[in-house]
Amino acid sequence: MVVKGLEVAVVAVTKTMKKNHELAKVLAAASCALIGSLSTAHAEESWDVDSAFLLYSESDGRVSAAEPVISATKNYDSETRLNVKLVADTLTGASANGATPSDEAQTFTSPSGNGTYTAAVGDQPLDDTFRDTRVALSSNWNAPINRDWAYGVGGYVSKEHDYQSLGVSSSVSRYLNQKNTTLTLGLGAANDTINPEGGVPTGLFQVPESASSSEFAQRDDSESKSIMDAVFGLTQVVNRNTIMQFNYSINTSSGYLTDPYKILSVIDDDSTGNNYGGNYTVNNRNLYLYEKRPDSRLKQSLYWQTKHQFDNNDILDVSYRYMFDDWGITSHTIDAKYRFRFDHQYLEPQLRWYSQSKADFYHRYLDSSAYTEVDFASADYRLGDLDTYTIGLRYGYQFADETEFYTRFSLYHQESSGDDGYGKLTSQELYPGLDAAMLMIGYKF
Amino acid sequence: MKFIQKLPIEARLNPSKHPVPTVWSEGGYSYRVQFECMASDYSILIECDRVDLVIEAAKKAIIEAWRIEHKFSRYQVDNTFSMIHSWPDVKQTLDQETAQLMLFSYHAHQVSGGLFDITSGILRQAWRFDGSDNLPSPEQIQTSLVHVGWEKLGWSPQSPDQLCLPKGMELDFGGIGKEYAVDKMLKLSLSIFGDVPVAVLINGGGDIACSGPRLDGQGWRVGIESLKADHTSDQIISLSSGALATSGDRHRFLLKSGVRYSHVLNPLTGWPVEKAPRSVTVAAPNCVNAGILATLSLLQGNNADAFLKSLAVPYWIYSERG
Repeated sequence: MVVKGLEVAVVAVTKTMKKNHELAKVLAAASCALIGSLSTAHAEESWDVDSAFLLYSESDGRVSAAEPVISATKNYDSETRLNVKLVADTLTGASANGATPSDEAQTFTSPSGNGTYTAAVGDQPLDDTFRDTRVALSSNWNAPINRDWAYGVGGYVSKEHDYQSLGVSSSVSRYLNQKNTTLTLGLGAANDTINPEGGVPTGLFQVPESASSSEFAQRDDSESKSIMDAVFGLTQVVNRNTIMQFNYSINTSSGYLTDPYKILSVIDDDSTGNNYGGNYTVNNRNLYLYEKRPDSRLKQSLYWQTKHQFDNNDILDVSYRYMFDDWGITSHTIDAKYRFRFDHQYLEPQLRWYSQSKADFYHRYLDSSAYTEVDFASADYRLGDLDTYTIGLRYGYQFADETEFYTRFSLYHQESSGDDGYGKLTSQELYPGLDAAMLMIGYKF
Repeated sequence: MKFIQKLPIEARLNPSKHPVPTVWSEGGYSYRVQFECMASDYSILIECDRVDLVIEAAKKAIIEAWRIEHKFSRYQVDNTFSMIHSWPDVKQTLDQETAQLMLFSYHAHQVSGGLFDITSGILRQAWRFDGSDNLPSPEQIQTSLVHVGWEKLGWSPQSPDQLCLPKGMELDFGGIGKEYAVDKMLKLSLSIFGDVPVAVLINGGGDIACSGPRLDGQGWRVGIESLKADHTSDQIISLSSGALATSGDRHRFLLKSGVRYSHVLNPLTGWPVEKAPRSVTVAAPNCVNAGILATLSLLQGNNADAFLKSLAVPYWIYSERG
């Protein structure tokens, strides 16, 4: 009896607890509904997580990528935060190897030297062995030193099967003019190691027929490069609705800056022969050379960004970047986004234009009469004259609990240009365009 | 504390004719703005190095507090409260804010099993808590109870802006008005600062809400009164997020034949709740939430402590013995 009585009492208490728990929940929700949700804006230390999934697909299915991203930020207060970001991407497909298309079928040695692949007549030579998975982890810590100064430190590591990168960064900021002006100096250093399939090929050397060639025997397994950069930034609050940022950055790389998988075609420029404009052959084999880039690069860039919030809460974000380097590349990037804001939703169209002039040593191909005289050469379209256009639309929905779902769809178009060659080469498409579509789906909580 | 300036506010935004608020410096980038509202001393503490924004935010918050006070005051003639009560027995359309307050009151009434009832204010006509021994007669209480009871209202949560108020009944938003004003003041004042670093604490006569910790990362030091004359058991707590609200009888009670009748009335019986704690302070994410939990716990009488425990919220309780 006693036991039963106790049981009844326990059940009653549990029921009450449950009921009161419900009561507390109802009242918490009702009070939030009454006053709106703003007061919890910086209520407590918690992780803000942004998880997203990106799908990238090039037209004609050349390269596709799937990329999950998770970024977690812990805000200790309005100025102290820790961010950890993990990115994994899987790329599959084929990439241009740098050789020109031809009026004859072409056979190429695969990077490992253990196989071959073929480009049909008139087709872009694509290395279809291209497949990679990359995992990158980065972390940043930002905190105030005192009322006028703040600092940040960060680290970065990424890994692919043939590439590793390790970096550190630090910054110090000085607030001036009642925090309306912020000056920032950032410094970074990174060290990358590349261990290509088949070893590191010899630059401007003929691509051998197979791994049994002596060129393979003398290869190193890996190379490395080091990168140092510095950013000087000025952020200015113009008024309550407008903020402007100027950056000057300088970036030096030294070491192995070449792409070990990229090659160049040597084209027969003997205008009296009947192979004028065709692949130049040595010992009955088409001559392809491994590309070679200088072992140092100094990049500088100027960046300006303005964000303005209109009276109706819409936000305009415009930026421009001018970059130039000692490889002879200059580029301009203009990016504009306009966010239409509705009660719990937003719609953000984006336009981006990037235009680049080629590097001094960029050659779509090399001439048979002169290929031995070049010190550096690359046919990588990313170093050539290039224009890219991106048009995108992002949509976001904010739920009552301040979590957000968003999705972004964008179309990317790329155009390359350069000299059209001579003889037989003129009938080949040397500068194919590229179209790609990207879809991103994310959830912030 | 150093006096900086007065903070004049246009007469039309000061319908209850309060004295001019004052701005004080507490050193560094700490400011205190003091003013009167709902018969209490209010203060706004703001830490920010943009004094222009501090002034703007304080002004906006004060105007909001005075607006709410005037709108729901029982002692005005030209406000929402008097409008509602001048149209008994007919269907009327409430403004958005009043409808929201009705919805909140409805939820509180539902979950408290009828113990929280904004129609019970009328019982105070029978009970006058002046420390005397004048108890009302049972007949007086019964007469008042005729006009008490949420379910007698012509109102439903499906259309919260439609109300038919039976003649003789009264809606009293006083039980949540002060906390509501504190939350709204905090929300409005924060909206001024955008990305500028700021810490804000609103103190509405002991009901408190803050934006988060102070700029140096420390909590705000808040005193909880013990009601003891010598204040020996006053507590100082550190508040780094959310809100605090206190419910209690302080000096409002009746004493007859050694029995102390608290001012907390049970709307179901019309009689004071027995053995209610003298004072309860509750912490919650916002002030309205803290206030309703404090009020409901007083209504539990003897069970207040157990009730609060079951809610799993921080609380401080002072009972007769304490």
